[in-house]
Amino acid sequence: MIKRKTIFVGVCIFAFSTLGFSQELTEKEQAYMDSINAENAQNETTAASQEAYNKGISLFEQKSYIKAINSFEESIKLDPNFTAAYYNKGISENEARRFDQAAKTLSLLLEKDPSYSKAYFQRARAFQGSGEYTKAELDYKKSIEIDPENPNAYYNYGTLQFLQKDYDKAIQSFTTTIEKGGNLAYAYNDRASCHRMKGDYAKAVSDYEQAQKKNPNLAFVLNNIGTTKLKMENFDGAMAAFNHAISIDKNFHLAYNNRGAAQMDRGKLDEALADFEKCIAVNNKYAPAYTNIAAVKYKKEDYKGAKVAADKAIKLDKDYASAYVNRGMINEMLRDMNAACEDWQKAKELGSESGEQYASQNCGF
Amino acid sequence: MKNIKNYIILISLFVSGIINAQNVEFKRSNFKDNIDDYKTATDAIDKGVEHFEKGSLAIFEVRNSGLHFKKALQQFQIAQELNSENALNNFRIGVCYIHSSSPYKAIPYIEKAYQLNPECDPFLYYYHGNALQLKEEFDAALTSYQKFEENYRKADNFGKFVTMRKRECGYAKTFKADPVRCWVDNVGTLNTEYDEIAPTITTDGSEITFSSNRPNGHEQNEVGEYDHDIYTSLNTNGKWQKVHPIKGSVNSNLDDIVNNLSYDGTKMLLHKDNEGQIDIYETTLNGANWSTPELMHFQISTKRTNDMYASYNHDGYNIYFSRGNENLSKGTNIMYSGMQSMIEKDFKAATTINQVNSKFNDGPIYMHIDGKTMYLASQGHESIGGYDIFVSTRKQGSWTKPVNLGYPINTPYDDFFFAGTANGKYAYISSNRPNGKGGFDIYKVTYWGEPKKPIIDMEDYLLASIAEPIKDPQIEEVVSVNKVSLTVFKGKTIDALTGKAVEANIEITDNESGKLIERFTTNSASGKFLLSLTAGTNYGIAVKADGYLFHSENFDVPKGSAYNLINKVIELKNIEVGSKIALRNIFFDVGKATLRSESNSELDRLVKLLKEVPSLKVEISGHTDNTGSATINDQLSQERADAVVTYLKGKGVNAGRLTSKGYGSRQPISSNSTSKGRQENRRTEFEIIEN
Repeated sequence: MIKRKTIFVGVCIFAFSTLGFSQELTEKEQAYMDSINAENAQNETTAASQEAYNKGISLFEQKSYIKAINSFEESIKLDPNFTAAYYNKGISENEARRFDQAAKTLSLLLEKDPSYSKAYFQRARAFQGSGEYTKAELDYKKSIEIDPENPNAYYNYGTLQFLQKDYDKAIQSFTTTIEKGGNLAYAYNDRASCHRMKGDYAKAVSDYEQAQKKNPNLAFVLNNIGTTKLKMENFDGAMAAFNHAISIDKNFHLAYNNRGAAQMDRGKLDEALADFEKCIAVNNKYAPAYTNIAAVKYKKEDYKGAKVAADKAIKLDKDYASAYVNRGMINEMLRDMNAACEDWQKAKELGSESGEQYASQNCGF
Repeated sequence: MKNIKNYIILISLFVSGIINAQNVEFKRSNFKDNIDDYKTATDAIDKGVEHFEKGSLAIFEVRNSGLHFKKALQQFQIAQELNSENALNNFRIGVCYIHSSSPYKAIPYIEKAYQLNPECDPFLYYYHGNALQLKEEFDAALTSYQKFEENYRKADNFGKFVTMRKRECGYAKTFKADPVRCWVDNVGTLNTEYDEIAPTITTDGSEITFSSNRPNGHEQNEVGEYDHDIYTSLNTNGKWQKVHPIKGSVNSNLDDIVNNLSYDGTKMLLHKDNEGQIDIYETTLNGANWSTPELMHFQISTKRTNDMYASYNHDGYNIYFSRGNENLSKGTNIMYSGMQSMIEKDFKAATTINQVNSKFNDGPIYMHIDGKTMYLASQGHESIGGYDIFVSTRKQGSWTKPVNLGYPINTPYDDFFFAGTANGKYAYISSNRPNGKGGFDIYKVTYWGEPKKPIIDMEDYLLASIAEPIKDPQIEEVVSVNKVSLTVFKGKTIDALTGKAVEANIEITDNESGKLIERFTTNSASGKFLLSLTAGTNYGIAVKADGYLFHSENFDVPKGSAYNLINKVIELKNIEVGSKIALRNIFFDVGKATLRSESNSELDRLVKLLKEVPSLKVEISGHTDNTGSATINDQLSQERADAVVTYLKGKGVNAGRLTSKGYGSRQPISSNSTSKGRQENRRTEFEIIEN
């Protein structure tokens, strides 16, 4: 709660001497004067804190999250008891994906005011973002306990359960979200993804289609339909879904990338290459598309071209295991086994099974 | 002069060749002006043919042709310099090259012979087939072999070679259509224009040992060749370093051919060729030096046989090797001999391994560290030409039929020796294939392994919130900024006439909102008061004290620290007839007599006074400054006084107690020459006219 300064009006009546009344203040008057001056200084600080807070909200709305964080931080510095500033700072940190910092800010807030119920939801999101799933789970439970009718708490709890690969519980949470009228398109999409992860592709497609009915403008839902149909070896259905996704959002780079992958599956290397290149035209920072271009060019035996693409992928993401695996294969065909083995070793260190396999089979003596 | 004559002959031959490629015989008539050349050429040919026939016989008998073809080649090349357009000489040079360590050099000579006269020698079709086979033109090679068979009528055993070549072409087509997934690269740092053969490597792949007949300071043989010595090179960061002769007393003036390093790198088998007597030796590593080689046990190296290409097996108890008879007339076969006693170092009688031997030369051999895999070179089996490398595995106590390692490890040229790494990724072989550094070179085989599938990454937003995160609840809302600033307001109430403190009741009102801000009584002894007020507001102050006229005024409390203290002395007047009080909180619209609502508080206090003191009769008077005409001022002041009276009457004050009078600017209380003075003069007053 905002601490509101009430207008201070006080009256002091003193038994002064009836003799002369000068501008000079008596000791008591001076003390009173000092207390008023202190009050004024405090009021000024509070006002500055509020101004920084309001500026933070404005910056947040402009999506300038880092600047917003700084502004809320300034507000807190001026008024360490301004709880709303903590809350907004935590949300801004979540938006800026500074999840660790967000969790700290929101924990501070809850220390100051344990009844600030909304903070549990946001702190759960922060813990989820930083991979501290156990803590996130506790906060989501607390959030649901405080506000059992908030569908978003169930939704986010469901996403957490999904990330923990507890797909059955996630399905329950998304179902509750749907029952409580939350974001239906999201909930259907995510429940579909649970089914997909369980290998029940038919149910997955059914839920994805429900999501698409609830919000026909979500290209990523159509993309999910496409990739699921690919798993069902329904190539034509997948292509139709990717095409539909692109028709909704011609800048949705994932749909181009995935359509390229589908073409690759069918051995249509030129078409695949064209799609991966479109993906990059839309998003030239998307490392997987470069990795995929490297793969196509490897298949086309254009090893030098493939290496250029793999180098680019690694430049964009130095921890991208697949790019190292592919570049290792390319280096092998360029007869540079030392470089190939370095790449596979790196991929292995990054957790790639293929990297580990190739390193053990091809490197050393 | 001689050179000029030769030049003229060559030019004439060349011109005739342009017109129509024509065979030029080594006839006196073709050397009319060069009898010496004719004699030189024919003498050389005669000498060459002698060696050529011996070499050919050795080939026929599947044994080493020694230096015969090399010696023949030297002679035929003398003749070739004097007449390069002779079919038979070209053919013979080609055959010599076919049986050299650089067989690819045969191709242009064989083709030229074929072009000049395909009938120049009964074996031309056969060797033409050989040349085409080396060029990997296998169908054309088969055609030539077919022609050879059709034309060769001798009832000797040469047909087995033709049959073998035809089979080689068949295998070659099959293997080339399905090549092995590997690179075969010339190891440039190890090779020279001379022969490099017999590579063997340490288990950790850090050192390679091989034999080469590169110049070594020893005496050259009859054809100018050096004997083979053993060399070594270390591998640093995947690169082979400078080659050095092996340290110790292993190398000699004989051909020293390394056979095999033990897996721990401390023993080495080699063979030496002492003028046709080939024996297997063993040397051991003492510190950095290899010991003087010792002849192997008689079961392995005998004087009655030629023994070579030995390999340790995985546990060191068996020695595998190749053995030929005294003059190698039946080729070499793969044998093995088991150790009887480690102390005595004696071996059992050697046994032929029939499953891996062919009708042609078999060996060298390399036993893999796994103990059940044998790599062997052979001119037989399913060779695609010359020596090829094969693999056989030991299953249920016997060795399987050797399987060709495939193209491009094997080619129509001689591909032999095999030293593999423990993980099977790399191997080193010797080959005299073209485009090397010359003769036999060492090649590195890099197996690609099973086909690798490049990774294609797809990505989904399986969780919608990853695509567009849930942002509920939204951030807290903006707050209104409360910039409150307080000002200390101090003062005292005194009798206007005596200056003595008067206890008075004070009401402070926010003129804008009409809200009563504070009500208090001043100190009875000092008349003092002290309070704080919010800055930036216009206040009305009303002061009442018993027996005194009501006092009122308005004042601003400005913002800013410079104005954080207001001091005010309020003088109160006794309610005596004749007393006049200016009503400072009565406001009119500019130039009009319309009372503004901000005046109500003051007027209501006046109503209250009149009701509290019913005996009072008052005159309400209006006053202006001296701006404007007197008539207008008089009229405005009268109308304003009337407005106040009307208000009071409206609030229940008896009209008989009220008189209104407009004085215009006639009764100033301050100077009209200043704006402050004029403001003070613009006023509404009431005067007690009766009490």
